[in-house]
Amino acid sequence: MNLALKELRRRPGRFATATLIITLIAILLMFLGSLLDGLIRSSTGAIRAQDVDAIVYSSTAQASFPRSRLDVDVRMQVESLDGVTEVGGIGLVQLGARVPGNGPRDLANVALFGYEIAPKGVPEPPADGQAYADEVLEVDGVEEGMTILLGPARTPVEVIGFVSDTSFNGQGGLWTSEATWRSTLSENRPDAQLADGVWQALVVRGDAELAERIDAATDGATDSYTVADAVNAIPGVEEQQGTFNQIIGVTIAVALVVIGLFFALLTVERLSLYGVLKALGAKSLTIFGGLLVQAVVVTLIASTVAGILVILLDVVIPPGSIPIYVSAGSILSSAALLLLAAAVGCSFSLRRVLSVDPASAIGTTS
Amino acid sequence: MFLALKEMSRAKTRFGLLVAAIALLVFLILFQQSLQNGLITGFVGAIRNQNAPVLVYSVDGQRVVQGSIITPDLEAELRGVDEIGEVGRLGQGTFTGLPTRAEITFDTTIIGYELGADGEGLGAPRELVDGRYPTAELEAVASTGGDFEFAVGDTVVLQPGGFTVEVVGLADDIQLNVAPTLFTSYDTWSSAVQSVNPDAGPPLPNVMVVAPADGVTDGQLVDAINARSLEFDALTRADAAAETPGVSQVQQSFRLIFLLYGLVVPCVTGLFFLIVTFQKANSLTLLRAIGAPASRLVASLLIQVVLIIGAGLFVGTALYYPVSQLRLGGLSLRYESGAVVFWTVLLLVLGIASALVAARRVLRIDPIEATTGAGVGI
Repeated sequence: MNLALKELRRRPGRFATATLIITLIAILLMFLGSLLDGLIRSSTGAIRAQDVDAIVYSSTAQASFPRSRLDVDVRMQVESLDGVTEVGGIGLVQLGARVPGNGPRDLANVALFGYEIAPKGVPEPPADGQAYADEVLEVDGVEEGMTILLGPARTPVEVIGFVSDTSFNGQGGLWTSEATWRSTLSENRPDAQLADGVWQALVVRGDAELAERIDAATDGATDSYTVADAVNAIPGVEEQQGTFNQIIGVTIAVALVVIGLFFALLTVERLSLYGVLKALGAKSLTIFGGLLVQAVVVTLIASTVAGILVILLDVVIPPGSIPIYVSAGSILSSAALLLLAAAVGCSFSLRRVLSVDPASAIGTTS
Repeated sequence: MFLALKEMSRAKTRFGLLVAAIALLVFLILFQQSLQNGLITGFVGAIRNQNAPVLVYSVDGQRVVQGSIITPDLEAELRGVDEIGEVGRLGQGTFTGLPTRAEITFDTTIIGYELGADGEGLGAPRELVDGRYPTAELEAVASTGGDFEFAVGDTVVLQPGGFTVEVVGLADDIQLNVAPTLFTSYDTWSSAVQSVNPDAGPPLPNVMVVAPADGVTDGQLVDAINARSLEFDALTRADAAAETPGVSQVQQSFRLIFLLYGLVVPCVTGLFFLIVTFQKANSLTLLRAIGAPASRLVASLLIQVVLIIGAGLFVGTALYYPVSQLRLGGLSLRYESGAVVFWTVLLLVLGIASALVAARRVLRIDPIEATTGAGVGI
């Protein structure tokens, strides 16, 4: 092991190109992971924030707020179900918001929610005409105490505070009372307005396995999900995750092949030296351990450099251009996957190391 | 040539691994190229492939068709623009639809436009691949590909309410929001909206579709409309498709990904041949000492580079072809022959360029070193 580290220290040039390639692959992996996280986070924050046991849509809504419509009767059926402790309505309208100080064509995209049960991190519903805004809207110039105008009807809403990670479909969340949501919806979207008491969806607290029991109790009029399932049911979320994970998987396979190739070539180059080492008493596993250490160190260096570069990339990319969300988790998981690939790739060389005959040391080295 | 091929045949694993690495990278690049194009076509094909040269959104819509609302006042204001030759209404909504031959429901986009006399009014799909344009209420042109493969004669039942639309024609690449899409009359769309929500008021048009008067270009018409009111956001068809939220982000993200993959391929190739050249140092020096010209050794190296990259490109493209025929969620992927040619040329050029470092080492070999054993120096 000492020998392997010494070689890395004294002949860094030998490992420079491999480090560069693995760094590029690590950047790719971390960027892809961050892109996926960014897309999912900006699409699902409002649902993930729900502090409930079930989210209930109408049966034909395909888990879409604008297409869902639940009458008072359905709500009463849900409320009367055994094990249900609390039921609240939730509704959405997606609009452009005019922000004071911005140009007349420079609008902010908002997802205005009317709610009865406060999501995690969001206070109880504010007074009519007021709203809590997601902090992503600060990029658009929204400030606390500011009144923004929503939609073509210019419905005024005063921002009284900020909350975090409550975006929906890439739009900043705006959390308001039932009355403000209903008036904003009917003034700006007459084709989507709902009668009093009718909600787009219900959020429910109570026992476990509530979702299935609600659908049974409403005789199939509802389509209920746990919060985790509701996140995945948002159109496009599962497809995005599946596609990105496949791309990330193949990229890891490429990393594995590149690392395997590099260390296989390095091993071939040093076979005669390994013969000498074996003749001097070194065990095959010690020699292979040295290779493994080199692969791990090279991958660690590459992952560290890539992590720093991806963080810099996150800083440099202007808000709103590429929706990446860089987190320690995504960087560390990419690094861990690369380390695994390095170990597996390196193991391709094990057979060659094991097959080195110490007798070959006689007369083969110069 | 002989030397190059002989060496490759005797070190199949070594060269095979390189071919595998390049093939995987080529596959990834081409697959993602198809994914990018499929995503964009699925998102905005309906805008790109309808026949109106100019679309007018309300500024509030932020260039999202369903987000835009044209109020009666705005519509009247627009109709007063002198440069307009023809104008029509367009409405869009997303519904839950059950096609006749399907067992499950699908997200279904309905786009309503004013049919005109022959069904080809402003906003209609530019080209059909089967059937005819709708000429009456409750008829539709449906998109091909995606989650459900429509056929002429199919009906789609909207839920709830049971509102039914019949497919009378088919068109390629007219999806919106990656959902099966139906182009119907404006009134059919309006009735569909009200059928699924009994509380709904009459819907307003989302977008106005416009054609310029004689002698007016599309650009001039866009400028004239936008100058008329700050409430208007007029865009040419191409700009409306390109500037739909999400499209440019998708393109920028993929550009960065392609750049990184494009860098990895020559790096892998260059590294491989550099190491191989180091390993062969003694043999190359000996060959030079017995009279082999440096150009022959370099040519041998370059032949290997071209063969290896060529094999990687072939295998990568062969892997890509069946995948490009698949559907991914609601996306229809497509074999992108232009992308195959582009990446083949680019990766060959970059691969050969990366091998020039190894070639330089070969050219620096001094035959006299056969007697001293120095070979290729680092």
